[in-house]
Amino acid sequence: MAATFFGEVVKAPCRAGTEDDEEEEEEEEEEGRRETPEDREVRQQLARKREVRLLRRQTKTSLEVSLLEKYPCSKFIIAIGNNAVAFLSSFVMNSGVWEEVGCAKLWNEWCRTTDTTHLSSSEAFCVFYHLKSNPSVFGSCPRKNMQITILTCRHVTDYKTSESTGSLPSPFLKALKTQNFKDSACCPLLEQPNIVHDLPAAVLSYCQVWKIPAVLYLCYTDVMKLDLITVEAFKPILSTRTLKGLVKNIPQSTEILKKLMTTNEIQSNIYT
Amino acid sequence: MASRYDRAITVFSPDGHLFQVEYAQEAVKKGSTAVGIRGTNIVVLGVEKKSVAKLQDERTVRKICALDDHVCMAFAVLTIFVGLTADARVVINRARVECQSHKLTVEDPVTVEYITRFIATLKQKYTQSNGRRPFGISALIVGFDDDGIPRLYQTDPSGTYHAWKANAIGRSAKTVREFLEKNYTEDAIASDSEAIKLAIKALLEVVQSGGKNIELAIIRRNQPLKMFSAKEVELYVTEIEKEKEEAEKKKSKKSV
Repeated sequence: MAATFFGEVVKAPCRAGTEDDEEEEEEEEEEGRRETPEDREVRQQLARKREVRLLRRQTKTSLEVSLLEKYPCSKFIIAIGNNAVAFLSSFVMNSGVWEEVGCAKLWNEWCRTTDTTHLSSSEAFCVFYHLKSNPSVFGSCPRKNMQITILTCRHVTDYKTSESTGSLPSPFLKALKTQNFKDSACCPLLEQPNIVHDLPAAVLSYCQVWKIPAVLYLCYTDVMKLDLITVEAFKPILSTRTLKGLVKNIPQSTEILKKLMTTNEIQSNIYT
Repeated sequence: MASRYDRAITVFSPDGHLFQVEYAQEAVKKGSTAVGIRGTNIVVLGVEKKSVAKLQDERTVRKICALDDHVCMAFAVLTIFVGLTADARVVINRARVECQSHKLTVEDPVTVEYITRFIATLKQKYTQSNGRRPFGISALIVGFDDDGIPRLYQTDPSGTYHAWKANAIGRSAKTVREFLEKNYTEDAIASDSEAIKLAIKALLEVVQSGGKNIELAIIRRNQPLKMFSAKEVELYVTEIEKEKEEAEKKKSKKSV
């Protein structure tokens, strides 16, 4: 890619050879790099490091699938992103006692820690909780009568619309649901051509394929770090059937949220 | 489409956008919220103070700056910039030099509108220059002119400026602006203390941690600038909370 005088970015032609020369290049590669046994071992080691491990509570013992089957699940709520997690922890998890059941740990080359065997619990990528009083709210295996709710955030500049982003009432909520989800969402559905990315998309696709009723609530916001207004944009979800029974103490939730904010403030001197 | 026309400032996209300017406006949204209110005899500037790192000297983290003062020692023009701190410093320096240069040549202090126009023209130049990026800052400029009329202006990275009765810039500015649209009434700005309370109430809509993170400054007609201390802000905050409680009690009595 090169920038011209007028600032337009164009794909510069490659002087090292055109794409039609692929065959010749392949032959050269084969002669130069044959896979040695060391290569294979390194590849296997990497594959082992990248395995996703499910561990029981704060220990290193793994959470067997059979143990998970012990916990039948009727509602599974997953929050992705720090605003969604803050919403869940302050509004849903403060009412009733939630017990940590296990966590999922994984590693890939982009992680900052190099030691994979001793990942501390704070570095778990996903922690599973279940409601002590109603143990049916948890699970990881798909069941017939289970309902899944996914909460996540996205920057408002990703939202494609013919209006200018300045006139959008951000933060705002959009929903996307699978065919089997019969209830109505508490906010308008996500219009085309917008698409969902990453983990929430994977979960929703899985649910659609396995015919599990699931709904994704996506909050478009212009503040991606932990922000009170973004978290409060998730509030309409509290009136849905899934979360209605779980949320009791709303004023206390706002207090907990404020505490979370202060502990999570990141210092930045670039922006005044 | 955006990816081909957003690398250089001098290029319009096919549908007429200057993407670098729009991205600069996103940079402004990363700054903390600031609110400005024009009362009948007072102008108020309030800003959310980000908590300072432990080892950092708090005195060097000042957001509200004076651009000029009058011969009679009353600060005439106050400003607050939101967005990239370094850009703000550069623009403030140029504006201050311009204020003094104007005084030397014309023998009159600048009007608020003049200095706003100067800052806006400076910002616009950087949206039309080869190889330079726009300033990633918006400004709220307040002050009194010689005729004694209070003024509030807002500029943005594109170089436009407008006069406002009340406005907010920075993170969650839309929420604050909506609050101001609902609550900026003739009663609300009738007295100086009411205008100050309106500014604090507007900021409390979005400030996460309450009164101790609010920096406030006012100018009253023919009086010098006043920067509020944390205690004074707290006094107003407690007053506001009392009023809220009383209003809620009245509501519940009515419903009963």
